[in-house]
Amino acid sequence: MSDLAHDAAVDLGHPEQESTGVENRKLGMWVFLSSEFLFFGALISTYLLYSNRAGFQGTYPAEVYDIPFTSVSSFVLLMSSLTMVLAHNALSGNDQNGARTWLFATAALGAIFLAGQVFEFTEFIVEAGMTLSSNPAASAFYVLTGFHGAHVAIGVIMLLSLWGMSRRKEGLSERQGMNLELVGLYWHFVDIIWIIIFTVVYLLSIRPA
Amino acid sequence: MTSEQHPAHPTPAQYWKIAVLLAVLTAVEVAMFYINNALDLKYFNSIILLSLAGLKFVIVVGWYMHLRYEESTLSRFFSAGFILAISLYTLVLTALGVLAVRGG
Amino acid sequence: MTATAERPQTTIFRRPSSTTGFWSWITTVDHKKIGIMYGYAAFVFFILGGVEALLLRIQLAQANAEFLTAGAYNALFTMHGTTMIFLFVMPVGAAFMNYLLPLLIGARDVAFPRLNALSWWIFLFGGIFLYSTFIFGTSAPPVGIDGVGGNLPAGGGPGTFNFLADSPNGGWFGYQPNAGPFYSAGTAMDYWALGLQILGLASLISSINFIVTILNMRAKGMRLLRMPVFVWMSTVVAFLLLFSLPIIAVALFMVMFDRQFGSLFFQPVGGGDPVLWQHLFWLFGHPEVYVLILPAMGIVSEVLPVFSRKPLFGYSAIVFAGAAIGFLGFGVWAHHMLASGITPVAQAAFGLATMTIAIPTGIKIFNWIGTMWMGRIQLKTPMLFAIGFIAMFTIGGLSGVIHSIVPSDWQQTDTYFIVAHLHYVLFGGSIFGIFAGMYYWFPKLTGRVMNDKLGKLHFWLMLIGFNLTFAPMHWLGLQGMIRRTWKYAPESGLEPWNVAVTIGAFIIALSIAVFMFNWYNSRRRGEASGLDPWDARTIEWMSPNPTPEYNFAVPPVVIRLDHFWHLKYDQDEDGRAVPKADKDEILAQIEDEQLNPVVPIQLPNPTYFPIVMALGIPIVFYGIIYHTTLWGKALIVIGVIISLAALIGWGMEPLEEPHEESESDAEIATVGGEEAGIAEGAGEDADV
Repeated sequence: MSDLAHDAAVDLGHPEQESTGVENRKLGMWVFLSSEFLFFGALISTYLLYSNRAGFQGTYPAEVYDIPFTSVSSFVLLMSSLTMVLAHNALSGNDQNGARTWLFATAALGAIFLAGQVFEFTEFIVEAGMTLSSNPAASAFYVLTGFHGAHVAIGVIMLLSLWGMSRRKEGLSERQGMNLELVGLYWHFVDIIWIIIFTVVYLLSIRPA
Repeated sequence: MTSEQHPAHPTPAQYWKIAVLLAVLTAVEVAMFYINNALDLKYFNSIILLSLAGLKFVIVVGWYMHLRYEESTLSRFFSAGFILAISLYTLVLTALGVLAVRGG
Repeated sequence: MTATAERPQTTIFRRPSSTTGFWSWITTVDHKKIGIMYGYAAFVFFILGGVEALLLRIQLAQANAEFLTAGAYNALFTMHGTTMIFLFVMPVGAAFMNYLLPLLIGARDVAFPRLNALSWWIFLFGGIFLYSTFIFGTSAPPVGIDGVGGNLPAGGGPGTFNFLADSPNGGWFGYQPNAGPFYSAGTAMDYWALGLQILGLASLISSINFIVTILNMRAKGMRLLRMPVFVWMSTVVAFLLLFSLPIIAVALFMVMFDRQFGSLFFQPVGGGDPVLWQHLFWLFGHPEVYVLILPAMGIVSEVLPVFSRKPLFGYSAIVFAGAAIGFLGFGVWAHHMLASGITPVAQAAFGLATMTIAIPTGIKIFNWIGTMWMGRIQLKTPMLFAIGFIAMFTIGGLSGVIHSIVPSDWQQTDTYFIVAHLHYVLFGGSIFGIFAGMYYWFPKLTGRVMNDKLGKLHFWLMLIGFNLTFAPMHWLGLQGMIRRTWKYAPESGLEPWNVAVTIGAFIIALSIAVFMFNWYNSRRRGEASGLDPWDARTIEWMSPNPTPEYNFAVPPVVIRLDHFWHLKYDQDEDGRAVPKADKDEILAQIEDEQLNPVVPIQLPNPTYFPIVMALGIPIVFYGIIYHTTLWGKALIVIGVIISLAALIGWGMEPLEEPHEESESDAEIATVGGEEAGIAEGAGEDADV
């Protein structure tokens, strides 16, 4: 009995280890992303609550949206998901050059999106006079899209670090390949959050009836 | 490691096709915005736009994030977070008196 | 003996290598050392929170007392609640989980040892940040508003101790707009909001770490339904934190933007809705109270069977009830808001939902009683605390059910009846459970057993002091004494019971002093525990005491629930446990094997980066509070640079240094990054 308990060689019909079969870091990333729904959900709900409420002073966000402009920047972010999978795909085929190129493209598209957001905020504040303090709906708009932008910025930093490492002679190792996959998951997640924001915030253009 | 474990990953060509599909869906979304401005579709506008967003969401998660090729544990966690968020915030918004999303 | 002492190589700086002394604690990634640090830090905060409570009680022991100013009183109850919840019960739960989870599932460390160190240091710095409000925080009279319902004059009115009044004073749930920029001007509430934000970050990182650890790091054969109940409850806690912390993070960010950058989320002057804060806070806050109680429930479920000499009655019922409590815990938040004007339908729905919580909780209580029923009960200190937990928690649970009846709740809201209820579940529940666990697992830390006589003295003093403190609060509440009141009139008739409450509070303090002496003394002079001091059931006792750095020289292969017990005992035909004839030899053999690793064991190496990275975070947050000044902006930049630099160093440093190649290379056991196989439910052995 005691032998059964200690001897690692005893085969009980069990696998090596009881586990989900998913690599630790990848499981951790997915678990983290699932919690991010609650994070953005709270911000989007707050926006829905206030954008709908009549009687505030100042400009409502829905009065100042520039749909053509935001459509283009949404398209840019969407396409960065394509370049991200292509980078991952290239590295799985050990194509270091391809991975490097697509990583840079992804970071660049992310940076373009961010520049668009900076431009948009500037327009809203300077031209339309809608600031963080105009009314709760404006507060909710800036904080929601701002936190999304912060997520994109963190993603761009991670992409650029990976790109920096991929420029070394030895390129990206297998372990860093996992890093690339994790950054990719994060990046796509930020993209799907924007898919929701683009529709719920911009295209629906909710305002008090 | 993943490429050996999951040989069924899409190929680059498929990734490009998915991107074209996503681009088309986005174009339809933007078109819907203008159609609604002209015709005022009321609730249909919200339903159509939210469905299109949902479709894009599923495509990115399923194919670009490879969720449909992964262990089912991951889908369960991911959908748990999503469903929990939707349920809780629907309740909160209901309690605060925002029942339905009005179309613009 | 282990590979950790080898000369490590590193990329940028020389990697830390000490295994003893000060630097070994600063740079450690060992879950046991981290757990011990969590425990001691939490206990220091427990003492601080306790002192705050005693000051409150001195003020209330006399009608119309002027011991504290009103402002100091507000600050003390706010910091008492915040401390006990976020800086004591939560981190002490984290201490137990850190120390025990890997041992209970037969692993050598958690899934992400360095992230574990990071969350500990973030927690510590967050706690220090929050407490630095006593030095730096300010509170000022209301600004821009006609003074209605605003704060007290500077110093907080007549009385002594008015220096304390410059501290967070909005209550532990920081209701808006009272805690907003207009009614609570000054920086004190910023320290509160941003301090909680830092602590939340620490908990979020740990919760992800624990989820992955439990799902991926279990020993061979440790299937989900063979995990000890404490592991199950930790799993539920980790998921509750995972899904509730992002909500409070958003709410606290909104407060930060309201207070610092002029947004109007919760400020009625600009159209904001304070009830939104209440929803967001309690969406987090209610799961949070289960975060506080479930680890204690897990501890009690481990202690009761050992000292009843019987298996846990209804293991799977207790596990599923725990999961049900966690699930239902997300659907009842608005019962904290029944008096805030939510619609009648919502009141009825949340009242009913709250009642359903009684079902899984009742299942647990009956199963614990069933575990003791017909058992050969040994009334040692851990068992006394476990029984105390059941009794006190049941009383608290029953007054909880009363609150779910809406009209009754309207009467009790913001009275001492609520204070009594929450202390019966959080003190009578969580803290009794925590002490049960401290006495029970003390041998794992030290290789010694805590003195049982002093332990019993501690228990009886605490039980008497606890009931003397909190039982009269029910009556005070029903007599109309409101919560958070600073003074009451002599003619109110509230004084006698308030005197009793204060005496009870000092008896609790005395019992804690007994505990501290016992802990200190037993560490040096306690009786040696040997491998198995309690004749225990679960596999953490298969690792020697004190626990070696590598936990298990030979990872156990688990073939059933209560695996360790079944190694020692057989059943006779009546189903009674009979010790095996060679029980002592079996134990000696286990200890010998576990003390002498056959192959060198590779453990994660110590590292500087987690503490450096954590250090940057409070610096950024100090900068945010003072962002209007130049040096505030400079602090933000400095903090970001420190954290980013640490992140880069972290990314370039491997978890484990490369080890010497040898013929036994394949056998060198590692901890992190295992390519784990897929669990399949096969196996011919039956669960017993």
